Amino acid sequence: MLDVRPVLFINGFALLILAAAMGVPAAVDLAAGGIDWPAFLASAAIAAFVGGALMFSAKPNARFRLDVRQSLLVTVTTWLLVALAAAPPFALSSLHLSPTDSMFEAMSGLTTTGATIIVGLDQTPHGILLWRALLNWLGGAGFIVMAAAILPALRIGGMQIFRMEAGDKADRVRPRLSRLAVSLVAVYVALSALSAVAFWLAGMDGFDAICHAMAALSTGGFSTSDASLAHWGGGVQWVAVASMLVAAAPMPLLVAPWRRGHPSVGEDSQLRAYLTLLVAVAGVLGIWRWATSDWELFDCLRAAAFAVTSTATTTGFVAADIGPWGGFAHVALFILAFTGGCSGSAAGGVKIFRWQVLTQLAKVHVKRLLHPHGVFLINFNGNTLSEPVVEAVLSFVVLYMVTFAIHALALTAAGCDLVTALSGSAAALGNVGRGLGGIIGSTGSWEPLSNAAKWIVTIEMLVGRLELFTVFILFTPSYWRE
Amino acid sequence: MLDFRPVLQIVGWLLVGLAAAMLIPAAVDLSAGSPEWAVFALSAGLTLFVGLALEAGMRSDWRRLSVRQTYLATALGWVVPCAFAALPFAFGRPQLAATDALFEAICGLTTTNATVLTGLDHLPPGLLLWRGLLQWLGGAGTLAMAVALLPALKIGGMQMFRIELLMGGDKAAPRAARLGTTLAATYAGLTLTVGLSLWLVGMPGFDALVHAMATVSTGGFSTWDASIGHFNKARIDLVVTLGMVASGLPFLVLAQAAQGNVRALWRDAQARWYFAILAAASLVMTLWLMLGQHYGFPTALRHGAFTVVSAITGTGFSTLDYGSWSGLPTALLLFTALLGGCAGSTSGGIKIFRLQLLLAGALVQMRRLLRPHAVVIARFNRRQIPKEALEAVMGYVFVYALAFAALAMGLGLLGLDFVTSVSGAVGALTNFGPGLGPVIGPAGSFGALSDPAKWLLATGMLFGRLEMFPLLVLFIPGFWKQ
Repeated sequence: MLDVRPVLFINGFALLILAAAMGVPAAVDLAAGGIDWPAFLASAAIAAFVGGALMFSAKPNARFRLDVRQSLLVTVTTWLLVALAAAPPFALSSLHLSPTDSMFEAMSGLTTTGATIIVGLDQTPHGILLWRALLNWLGGAGFIVMAAAILPALRIGGMQIFRMEAGDKADRVRPRLSRLAVSLVAVYVALSALSAVAFWLAGMDGFDAICHAMAALSTGGFSTSDASLAHWGGGVQWVAVASMLVAAAPMPLLVAPWRRGHPSVGEDSQLRAYLTLLVAVAGVLGIWRWATSDWELFDCLRAAAFAVTSTATTTGFVAADIGPWGGFAHVALFILAFTGGCSGSAAGGVKIFRWQVLTQLAKVHVKRLLHPHGVFLINFNGNTLSEPVVEAVLSFVVLYMVTFAIHALALTAAGCDLVTALSGSAAALGNVGRGLGGIIGSTGSWEPLSNAAKWIVTIEMLVGRLELFTVFILFTPSYWRE
Repeated sequence: MLDFRPVLQIVGWLLVGLAAAMLIPAAVDLSAGSPEWAVFALSAGLTLFVGLALEAGMRSDWRRLSVRQTYLATALGWVVPCAFAALPFAFGRPQLAATDALFEAICGLTTTNATVLTGLDHLPPGLLLWRGLLQWLGGAGTLAMAVALLPALKIGGMQMFRIELLMGGDKAAPRAARLGTTLAATYAGLTLTVGLSLWLVGMPGFDALVHAMATVSTGGFSTWDASIGHFNKARIDLVVTLGMVASGLPFLVLAQAAQGNVRALWRDAQARWYFAILAAASLVMTLWLMLGQHYGFPTALRHGAFTVVSAITGTGFSTLDYGSWSGLPTALLLFTALLGGCAGSTSGGIKIFRLQLLLAGALVQMRRLLRPHAVVIARFNRRQIPKEALEAVMGYVFVYALAFAALAMGLGLLGLDFVTSVSGAVGALTNFGPGLGPVIGPAGSFGALSDPAKWLLATGMLFGRLEMFPLLVLFIPGFWKQ
């Protein structure tokens, strides 16, 4: 029988953290003389009560260890419960969102998707705006810790290649893992602060700078304006591009770079592939835009760099309306939504390292066709990948595509048109948050979708954030079998 | 150095065969009193001359082809006949430009229903027959490739269908001959059955012949601009639907069924899924037609099943103009066309067995996550899936996705919009044909596209028909080395 006590205990702990986080927007709202602070306090009270009750009643033995099944369950339930608890402020505040919309907004925030259903952000009270950014930021931190500590140990989607060396000795792993998690969060906090200062120096006011820094470093993409980053000038947009670029880079590379034996940033093959891809697509797109419009070349390049970075890093900020750009831009951005950022960051999508493994796989297949008896190996970052890793990567990409197709079909059944459904499914699964077309495109919002469509997207965002397997495995009979 | 002589000799034979085929429309035109017969006679003469010259000049030991020569022969064996098959389109009544003539010929031989011709209703019978004949020959080539060549070359996991011809020693030749006879008999028999049935339910003899050839090859060229919709008879729709369903089945299984072993259809895992997917997709489409377009149930079922079957087998016949639809049915058509029919048939697309293999691999992966040390084996059709086959399938699907991305982006660069680019790329790669939207939808024509767009699409069709790798390896430097 599955022992759920440690699972509930950790759930409760996460809820307490969320309740504490709600204090921040409450304080901001109170200081600004808003009327929303009771909503935050009430929501915090509920979250704290449930969290405390869970921790108290399900208190396990002093030192407990999670097995594989418990780890999977704790991952899924924590995200789900925290999203549930993060939704009430939207419903109780002066916005009075419906339960569906509140849940959508909370899930979109926590999964760092950044798909919003709120129209009129420029007039929305600061408390709510800060809460959205904070959700992005907490979700990003949660995912980075999860990607560093939990997914490699569970061997989800080939993540075991990022398992730390000497990880076999169980007694030494735990302290090293928690140290890694702490240092990753420290890097995350430092980068967010740096980004906020840069935004402020580039001309944003303090509040917007902090919100956008949190949304950028988590690759979330919630903005404080309906026009997103198009509300500000070129300088701010370049800061956003830089922040997003760093946010989707492999975070462990940035931990204590002064330490001896630290892997060289320039030699990381994932980082190099990621930067090459972005520069190449942005360059082509910028020049194409310049050739087919009457814009200045520099403006085209900036807008193209922004759009490409925003989509590939799965952030979803907008600096220019892509609608009139034509077919090439739309197809390119649609495909970029699948590439995603680097693993080890808060970015979603398939992730660059998986595409690298697949490229190698295809190359090996071609070589094997010509030399049927040759032995070919698949390498990543100088190491030969073992069979299980390759198979795990492969299964991940297969499930990703199947999930995308099923949700796209479901969205059309819920009343979306083809472009909205295809791009919306890709944007939700990859946690991008921006689709194509007139409804969810660069100038739109997800508000006009039907309630059924919103729930489909809400589920898809969670599935994408938890790297598919974590969720799907709970639905296999063998999970519940002894 | 690669010895080209046996390769060119084989190409020479194919050209001689093509020249012989050209005599049929010549005879038809002559008996119909149309002066077009001279065009076919001239084209046949030219083709025969080149074919004989190649055959005589390159005489060599063609029985012992190396792996690389086999690839080259496969690629050239498709590309060169396309060039000669284009001659009647260029010389004849339509007076097509070189690009258009080649495009039409490539569509024909790759069994894609993307025509640049409009006003089919007024074309001389010889040319209409030639289009049907091209598809029929292309279908035969596809079948030969899918049953004999691709499994032997282990392309894209096709080794799962390897028939042990090489193991039998001296029994190999008779077995191969018997296999060839079975296939040819099944293909011809099915064509005959469909043709006769069409004639019996009221289609004129000539139309019945051409449509039978276009159905069984899953090509989809019609003799009327309105395609099968021209006849507007439920019985004709039914016969064509059944014909397409049969053509999407593995022909070796179909042959067993034709010999009285109908249970073979149900025992084959791929055929089982094929029927299940067909039933589910037809049901959804029928429901949509009833609820969205207010058709009665029988009419909705008739058109719904027809459209879905036409998409999944990559035929491209149409009874309704779905180009102007949006939402659910279009997404359904896009995804079913991409999925395709069974391997070992004339249909296009990724093929169902690849999805089955990949899903089986993903399921095993999930079980392995839960029990890292258990031995779990993925199976297909009661046989263990070798890991090389699984990797080959993934390599194939990845290259397919890359080809799709390149094609869609290329079409976008040429100025087409998102829906046209994406659906056009799917239509070409899967050898389905029509896309969505007003330009290349069932009511539109590919004639309106620019020449570079036609070249892109034609290349996509060839890559799709040849299952990517026989063409792709030619572009690998390693192929030409030593």
